[in-house]
Amino acid sequence: MTLYLSILTQILITVVAVCGVYVLTGLTGMFSLGQAAFMAVGSYASGILVVKCGFPFWLACILAVLIAVVIGYLVGFPTVRLRRDYISLVTLGFGEAITALLNRATKLTGGASGFIGIPRKTTFLLALASAIAAIAIVSWFKTSKYGRQCIAVRGDELAAKAMGINVPKIKMNAFLLSVAVTAFSGCLYAFFITYVDPTIFGWKKSADWVIMVFFGGVNSLTGSVVGAFILSGLPEVLRSLDQYRSIIYAILVLLIINFKPSGIFGEWELSPRNLKALGEKLAKRSRKEEKTDGAA
Amino acid sequence: MSLQIIVNGLATGSVYALIATGFSLIFNVLKFSNFSHGALMTLSAFCGYFIAAERGLGLIPTILVAVVTGALVALAGEFIAFRRITLNNTSPVYFFVSSITLGTMFEGIVTVKVGANFYNYPQFFQNSTIKFGSVVISTSDLLMFFCSVVTLLILAYILQKTRQGRGLRSVSFDRDTASLMGINVTRTIQFTFIVSGALAGLAGVFLGINYTLYPTLGSLVVKGFIASVIGGLGSLTGAIIGAVLLGFVETILISLVGSGYTPVFTFLLMLVFLLVRPSGIAGSNVQEKA
Repeated sequence: MTLYLSILTQILITVVAVCGVYVLTGLTGMFSLGQAAFMAVGSYASGILVVKCGFPFWLACILAVLIAVVIGYLVGFPTVRLRRDYISLVTLGFGEAITALLNRATKLTGGASGFIGIPRKTTFLLALASAIAAIAIVSWFKTSKYGRQCIAVRGDELAAKAMGINVPKIKMNAFLLSVAVTAFSGCLYAFFITYVDPTIFGWKKSADWVIMVFFGGVNSLTGSVVGAFILSGLPEVLRSLDQYRSIIYAILVLLIINFKPSGIFGEWELSPRNLKALGEKLAKRSRKEEKTDGAA
Repeated sequence: MSLQIIVNGLATGSVYALIATGFSLIFNVLKFSNFSHGALMTLSAFCGYFIAAERGLGLIPTILVAVVTGALVALAGEFIAFRRITLNNTSPVYFFVSSITLGTMFEGIVTVKVGANFYNYPQFFQNSTIKFGSVVISTSDLLMFFCSVVTLLILAYILQKTRQGRGLRSVSFDRDTASLMGINVTRTIQFTFIVSGALAGLAGVFLGINYTLYPTLGSLVVKGFIASVIGGLGSLTGAIIGAVLLGFVETILISLVGSGYTPVFTFLLMLVFLLVRPSGIAGSNVQEKA
């Protein structure tokens, strides 16, 4: 039971991170390949604050998220004014820089051997509550004015500008929100594993998250969350295939992109109204089948 | 000392130039950042290792194998990951995901084959350094420099003078109009991928000689990205200038602050460049088309 709870907790932490990526990639159409580096900032900052400075857990989390947001602002400031390609290139460079920094600043971070001795504070319930909170915040953001502006920017930056949307500002907002959410998932991660080292925050992790978002459906938060569940749960189920994990992922995603580019869920969101509509559709279909059966 | 830095900087810069041009070529034609480039370098470097170098076939066959593998794999990658997106005119966002996915796939294949082990190319040269007065040049650096220069000159000739190169430039300018002018766009895109893959293979072997061979060698591609951002995204000349500049800056930084902190400073350099001159050295300004 504890094993299952531990796996579930890890999946939920990933869900929190993927919520952050969804804001950036799904809503705004920007790709961050350094998102895992922001997770690293969250983990290390909160870990150091608690272990070395004796801060309480919650305060350390808030401070760590703030630190990540400030760094995110510095990284984002030159890039949001430019073409969207730049944000991927710059964040990729940022990831490399952070890894180098964590490896070298041995006194503070423990260097390549990792930062140890973080107390375990993240429980299953905390992870669950965080995941629900993250989903709630992001879905609120999606339906708010900002979210709609983000979607407009994703569709066509020039047209969005012509409609009076402040494109750099909207991109920055989305970037900072996603950085904050991802950094928070980093705090949860550090206080769950109780140990962090620089290698786990490479661009591969960021790429995995982007893949999860696209697997479920880039336009749907429900899709992204389900994608995160399936793709981060899959390796736990298929332990023996762990080696082939990234290849299987890649083939799945290539199939989806080639044949159903909108992902599994497309635009569909889980909401009472959509559920009802789906139920009616299914009922109608089964009624129709009954009718054809009767005719036969 | 200073001459030594110039020599080392040029050698490093020339490899970065290979990476950056391979990346920029595809950016030029399809207008997206090809994140599978790094993993392709690793894959072809390893193919060169297993097919040629391990059997003691020497440097030239190794390079040939890696270049051919790079070209073929890039061609296959274009078919499985990008063809449908190009033809359907789907949102460019999907190019990103496709290329990232392709990259993780290549890296996954390499990891399955070699595990997390490190490999070394055998020693290709009898004497590993050559002395010119007070300057010590390693033979591999010298070779890298000449190979890169020759390759880039050939590339420039192909792009500027040949029919195929003109086709490539016109497709990069406007795909639809080029197609109306009787250019086979799909063939041209395939050609671009072949050239870019060959460049990746060459760069991969050089990186393997310079460092060691390991599955995440491809992350060095970030140097090529930084170089092309500094030089101006989408400009080949800019990419080469940016790469050489980056080579110099890195060599100087390594002698000043050590290799550990160098990525931090090169990253800051890129940020400063984006703030001050976002269009890069070459001043090509790629905007989203209306």
